Amino acid sequence: MFLIGHGISVRSDLPIPEWLFGWAAAMVLVVSFVALAVLWPEPRLQKPSWRPLPGGVGRVLASRSVEIVCGVIGVFLFGLTIYAGLRGTQSVTANFAPVFIYVIFWLALVPLSVLFGDVFRAFNPWRAIGRAVAWVARTLMRDELPAPLEYPRWLGRWPAAAGIFCFATMELVASNGDKPESLAIAALVYSAFTFIGMALYGVERWIDRAEAFSVYFNLFSRLSPVETRDREVGLRKPLSGLAKLEPLPGTVALVAVMIGSVSFDGFSGKRPWNSISPDIAQFFQDRGLSPEHALELTFLLGLIGGVLFVAGFYWLGVLGARSVGGGFSARRLAQEFAHSLVPIALAYVAAHYFTLLLFQGQAIVYLASDPLGEGSDIFGTADNQIDYSLIGANATWYWQVAFVVCGHVAALILAHDRALALYDDAKLAVRSQYWMLAVMVGFTSLALWLLSSANS
Amino acid sequence: MTFQIAHAGHWLTTIAYFLPVVAFLVWLAITQIRERRRGRQQ
Repeated sequence: MFLIGHGISVRSDLPIPEWLFGWAAAMVLVVSFVALAVLWPEPRLQKPSWRPLPGGVGRVLASRSVEIVCGVIGVFLFGLTIYAGLRGTQSVTANFAPVFIYVIFWLALVPLSVLFGDVFRAFNPWRAIGRAVAWVARTLMRDELPAPLEYPRWLGRWPAAAGIFCFATMELVASNGDKPESLAIAALVYSAFTFIGMALYGVERWIDRAEAFSVYFNLFSRLSPVETRDREVGLRKPLSGLAKLEPLPGTVALVAVMIGSVSFDGFSGKRPWNSISPDIAQFFQDRGLSPEHALELTFLLGLIGGVLFVAGFYWLGVLGARSVGGGFSARRLAQEFAHSLVPIALAYVAAHYFTLLLFQGQAIVYLASDPLGEGSDIFGTADNQIDYSLIGANATWYWQVAFVVCGHVAALILAHDRALALYDDAKLAVRSQYWMLAVMVGFTSLALWLLSSANS
Repeated sequence: MTFQIAHAGHWLTTIAYFLPVVAFLVWLAITQIRERRRGRQQ
């Protein structure tokens, strides 16, 4: 699906071999680590710092009327996606639903969240509908309606991790995962699940902890300098939003799914996977599965393997950090440093799907005019073409390397700052970070290898 | 399963990507062992 966006042309004339970029990136991380150890002696991100936007702009942006307008837009786009999926043409590229879900919603909202804060919260159709229903119920009952059940703490972000895993399964595993009708049905099923969750545990609680896409985009928005507090938009130190992320159960799993699914998407295009997957599929076929289901099961195993690999590598770093002392349990350390994986997840998403967003994102211009793919031309843009000359292959590679390096340096900063806050002894804090540096170098090398033409 | 020797060049490139990780882990292990020895001696 959308193969064209992943690699439009072959890189040529790079001044050094691709793998040397990996070495250079590792060197940048080591130098950054030393610089942090010398120049960043005290935690700087743990204390909250926030000031409202000047001139009352922040209050206008977060006002109830703007919230209602954004909510209506979100519900409209959601309805249009479902309608296009169920009633429109079943061609993947000619229907609004697949491009909107996999490119605009899933990819474009990531940079928007990093730049402008938690924008999805404003446009979230499930939250908008949930709040509207709660308002009607409150008005009718003339009283506040408390949630019937208290959200269990042990559940933490596990539902969100499961939700993102299911979405990745739909995207990377299901053979009909890009079919407009399948996407519309999946969206309806997920909506029903979300409404039940909100009805049981309350709209805001479910949105903050369990609704997969809210939690996903909120994690990325925590990198942003923009934050809304008490109905006012303001500015904070970049990255500081992640430093105050509540270490709830399921957070490591969620970030492992985020990084692992992108890793598997890259790995599935590599020669090792392509040489081993037919044998695994054949194994399942020999046990009675149809070729289609055997391949799906093979890819599902690959996806699970990718997630487990990322989680395992992180836990290796955590166990290493525990071995230097300090008296913290591995579980505590894993939770305390989980937020440092978010910039890595961003780096993986940005580097891997950069061209997909850039090229296939343009398709929304003609799909807006003809969402059902039946020949209409509502805005006069139905004949618009995708411009594949926007960026060259070499420039793409440089951007990808830059995303990977910047993401991992941001992760180092977050981990270093947390270590300083956690350990009483600054030397111990730095020593514990040797292991996190190993994790970062590992993820950097993996990211660049997955993006490279090696073994492709 | 066909991991072909003929494609050794591809595998060498892959190994080149992960050399920094291996080098770093080796350095980390040596440092850790040295520190433990020093701790025991003290």
